[in-house]
Amino acid sequence: MSNERICDVLIVGAGATGSLAALVLAKAGLDVVCLEQGSWVEPQDHPHLHADWAWQRRTKWSPDVNKRSHADDYPVKSDSSQILMWNGVGGSTNVYGAIWPRYRPSDFRKGTEHGLQPDWPISYEDVAPFYEEADKLVGVSGLAGDRAMPPREACPTRAMPPSKVAQRLGAAFDKLDWHWWPVEAGAISEDYDGRPACNNCGICNGCPRGSMSKYSMSIWPKALEAGTELRINARVLKVEKGTDGRATGALYIDRNTGQKHFQRAKLVIVAANGIGTPRLLLASDNLANSSDQVGRNLLHHTLVGVEMWVDEPVDGHIGYVASLISRQFAETDVSRGFVNGFNFNCITSTSSAGELAAGWFTSAKAPWGKEHHSWFERHFGHSIGVFAIGDDLPNPENRVTLDPVLRDSDGVPAAVTHYQPGENDKRMMNYMLDRLEDLAKAAGAFDYSLHDYRDQEGVYRTPAWHMIGTCRMGADPANSVVNKWNQAWDVPNLFIVDGSVLATGGVVNPTPTISALALRAAGYIRDNFESLTTASRSVQAA
Amino acid sequence: MNRPEGFPRNHADLSPLDGARLLAIFVDELIPGAENWPPASMAGVHGIVAMRICDASGQGDLSDLLDAILAAGGLTESGSPEERASVVAKVETANNALFERVRAAVFLAYYETPFVTQAIRRLGRPYASRPHIAGYTMRPFDPARDTPGHNRGFYVSTNDVRPVDTSGLNLDRTHTERWGIER
Repeated sequence: MSNERICDVLIVGAGATGSLAALVLAKAGLDVVCLEQGSWVEPQDHPHLHADWAWQRRTKWSPDVNKRSHADDYPVKSDSSQILMWNGVGGSTNVYGAIWPRYRPSDFRKGTEHGLQPDWPISYEDVAPFYEEADKLVGVSGLAGDRAMPPREACPTRAMPPSKVAQRLGAAFDKLDWHWWPVEAGAISEDYDGRPACNNCGICNGCPRGSMSKYSMSIWPKALEAGTELRINARVLKVEKGTDGRATGALYIDRNTGQKHFQRAKLVIVAANGIGTPRLLLASDNLANSSDQVGRNLLHHTLVGVEMWVDEPVDGHIGYVASLISRQFAETDVSRGFVNGFNFNCITSTSSAGELAAGWFTSAKAPWGKEHHSWFERHFGHSIGVFAIGDDLPNPENRVTLDPVLRDSDGVPAAVTHYQPGENDKRMMNYMLDRLEDLAKAAGAFDYSLHDYRDQEGVYRTPAWHMIGTCRMGADPANSVVNKWNQAWDVPNLFIVDGSVLATGGVVNPTPTISALALRAAGYIRDNFESLTTASRSVQAA
Repeated sequence: MNRPEGFPRNHADLSPLDGARLLAIFVDELIPGAENWPPASMAGVHGIVAMRICDASGQGDLSDLLDAILAAGGLTESGSPEERASVVAKVETANNALFERVRAAVFLAYYETPFVTQAIRRLGRPYASRPHIAGYTMRPFDPARDTPGHNRGFYVSTNDVRPVDTSGLNLDRTHTERWGIER
């Protein structure tokens, strides 16, 4: 079935970046259609309101696409990573934790710094105004004035309440003479923009209150009010290209009726995340892939962690999921034996007593039998978690491909991912583990448990919230997929606005940067729409 | 442990009552009662766990668990504490993956129950089984009081990024085989 209507902008994916692009472009008066394979997640759908929420978080509400069985998902085979995402309106913001740090200026200049990663075609200063814009739209808490970062405007709401965990870790960092700062969060500490302040419940896997910015509650209402037409349960099968080399629209299936439709568009934006986007392009007759870079250079970050227990109660089960961030090791120092750096994301603890006993993210767990209760009484309320997250080097063989056999329920090939840390990454993770041990000792932990995410066979099975780099931005069409405006080199009216465009991973959770870049790209499309509707080639590097 | 004549050898030999009783004894071995703490079965854990592992695997995990317990010698209320603990330890060793799945299910179910939530609060710590409903009270961030007083931290600005000397790293020529926590 063909739809004769030619919309101005067709967006594939209603997650974080699709929603921001829709908002900007619909507000500009453009005719915007967004296709989303999943559906809405209503507040009452979330597990938070039920006593069994911790069990649900491990089963049907698991962020791991391979651990839940959900009709909105598509299969992702991985020989390594745990693939964490949510398919639906708001995307993975339905289940994320919204830790909200920014990239650093040097993250955009790794080619200059050591040459093992590319320079971005843009700088921190190009993105900075859009960080501020994103923060205001999303609703962020935090504290300006961190000397370890470029100056920033005041956050829309004050930093999250200082927890006992934060106080304990702050003292430990002081003892080590290491940097620390209250963490920035994509959650509001005060009522903001019609949404209520965080109530410190601690279940920060999405937030049905909307205190944590779930984009279906923070951005989508505005995008819809501005006139975006959002079609849910609409799974795109293929983005098509005309003989002139321009995208013509997308073939999709209405999953409710089984009917196929073709939505014509003057310009197409793909916003399907770092796995979904390369999958769709590869399944669309290798669209935008003359460089053979689509799907390559998959980045997850280096990630290790420690769970520690301290004598004095810290009640880590209450409050926003994260407490502090330490940027002590964020910049490269080759005397450590590797390039790039890492941050400490200091979280609180699990908000579930059962999860603490059953094993949170390390191998530590309560014993069974007569010692069970004494272990619990010693550990509950005394637990602290800290992750070290670092900038992994790109490897073209770490990639997303298509499975030759397995397909989703609508016939699109399944995604296959492969990820293996390289030499620099391994050295960094060893160093990170040693520093986590230093931190646990400085905090006076009576016990601690390190975790490296390696399984019994030694395979690194990182919980891959961060799936980035697979359609990376660059200055050279030969080794990148999009230009500095997120415009596909090969298809001038095709834009990619999700995390797949990140040329480097930085040392932070990527959603703030992805959001800022999406706003920047959408602004460019808005301001140049007329010329983009006729352009026969993409903008070269300026 | 000597098996008496007619002792069930697998789950198919168990009556519904015996199956429920066996699972109840098993969960109580994992989480026994103590001062302030109800035993797992008294909190209703065995029923919750049976449902959940059947949801996850069909009847498979439940049948396998009952078979494993019986193969390890079975559990009876009249057995000594040492005998019962020995049986559970055998199940843990012989069927570790299954045991760990069930153990996690038991622990999660136990701490979800209102009786145990109450027991946690009696420890003096704030705790709600559904904390999202009312949240927890915390003192707001006070910039005057809570802003870090240290002056640590730096960043390299865009114009100050300079090439670093990576020649000594030998990233192409060395391979770190031992990495992670098992170094």
